[in-house]
Amino acid sequence: MKKILAMVLAGGRGERLYPLTRDRAKPAVPFGAIYRIIDFTLSNCLHSGVRRIYALTQYKSTSLHRHIQLGWNILSTPLGEFIEAVPAQQRIDEHWYQGTADAIFQNINILQVERPDLVLILSGDHIYKMDYRKMVAFHLEKGADLTVSAIRMERKLSREFGVIEVDEGWRIIGFQEKPEDPKTIPGDPGEILASMGIYVFNTEVLVRRLIEDARSDSNHDFGGDIIPMMIGKDQVFAFDFRQGDCGGTGYWRDVGTIDAYYEANMDLISITPQLNLYDSRWPILTYQFPSPSAKTVWMEEGRVGSALNSIISSGCIISGGNVKRSILSPKVTVHSFAEVEDSILLEGVDVARNAKIRRTIIDKEVQIPEGMEIGYYLDEDAKRFTVTASGIVVVPKGIRL
Amino acid sequence: MKKKILVVEDEESLRLLYKDELTSEGYEVFTAGNGKEAIQQLEKGKPDLIILDIVMPVMDGMEALGRIVGKERKIPIILNTSYSGYRQDFMSWAADAYVAKSDDLTELKNKIRELLEKGKSR
Repeated sequence: MKKILAMVLAGGRGERLYPLTRDRAKPAVPFGAIYRIIDFTLSNCLHSGVRRIYALTQYKSTSLHRHIQLGWNILSTPLGEFIEAVPAQQRIDEHWYQGTADAIFQNINILQVERPDLVLILSGDHIYKMDYRKMVAFHLEKGADLTVSAIRMERKLSREFGVIEVDEGWRIIGFQEKPEDPKTIPGDPGEILASMGIYVFNTEVLVRRLIEDARSDSNHDFGGDIIPMMIGKDQVFAFDFRQGDCGGTGYWRDVGTIDAYYEANMDLISITPQLNLYDSRWPILTYQFPSPSAKTVWMEEGRVGSALNSIISSGCIISGGNVKRSILSPKVTVHSFAEVEDSILLEGVDVARNAKIRRTIIDKEVQIPEGMEIGYYLDEDAKRFTVTASGIVVVPKGIRL
Repeated sequence: MKKKILVVEDEESLRLLYKDELTSEGYEVFTAGNGKEAIQQLEKGKPDLIILDIVMPVMDGMEALGRIVGKERKIPIILNTSYSGYRQDFMSWAADAYVAKSDDLTELKNKIRELLEKGKSR
């Protein structure tokens, strides 16, 4: 049994998710009513038997640290298991992480102390279900120094991804960062292999390459710098995500923008979502303060508390208001005659009487006053809120209306 | 132009020995008594090569190595210590060479020459 250590890169600013990332790092952004984005990666680790985990945080990490402390303090210390959030400490250098490779290099002392055989480097930014054991088995079978997990994508999406070029045996022979003219999969000219930012390294090779990278002029990124440096010099392979995907639908999302975030959430209310959160074979764990069950009240003429095609979390009260095609995080209250449609309401949001909300994301604890309409007159909304190109309104945390 | 070497060593007698020997080899030699002083020296001017002891008070060589690499990625560094155990430390791999301390400076001098030559071709 190889000793594996996971390092989760959880410092992403998630600038394109602003204002959801105004007060929190991207991995701490709420998703799917009760989760935070990082829960997916951490759950994957747990179910894959990877239970020695460091989450490397950086920007606006308080919310993320609290979530990990409250929700993920579930492993057994005597068995050598842990999930620990490590803030950027300027151990080596007096600057913040310059790139993904620099984040690991700056924490080289962790590798020194842990001395794992393999290091599994993950991103805390992505939503997917994956059995990392399959990837590790592939890594060992190939005798690889580095294995990169890759997902098949349509060729036309190449400008959004790091594109991996492989030979017939899935050895990596090239890497292009967001290319216009990508190398496609051998025998499949319509598809590319996109890097998922998931790496298995032999520890010693990782350390040597990180040091080499640290001592050269580079952006200090795994994708753009470390992989190209290793091609032709080390044993570098790509792992087909389809072989490790335990959702079975090829689901993997980077929810990098508000629109992508909105769509990925909304997919969950469809009849058979691509991402099945109800599959007890690979449950996603999270932190949830115990709340009473959701309830609906009022059922009289003209005043019915109802929720249709929606996800309603515990602690919610739909009190004489109507909720359609929406996602309600815990402890959301919708008062009488209010309407909420196609929206995402995060924890503790209160929608007062007669308010109307449509195609809007409302961040935690916001109080929507009586009669207020959001999502109907986008020009007006844009004066106060973020409105995306596709017309999604975001009401930020802490706003007083 | 004489090549500049920064010798970081806490033992004064050794500092003097290195300074004498390396000066007579034709190098310009600066010294620092610990890692912290070494970093202060770096702020004043860049040497062409650094010889770094590991076990020192105030700031040891291993910590200084990280900080130097963070500031000046390309200056060659030779770790110079009586203890071979530090070779197991991942951070020590960031040095360009690891030379065991000895009264005979031949190996050290050879390494210096080699690294400065390599630097020229870079």
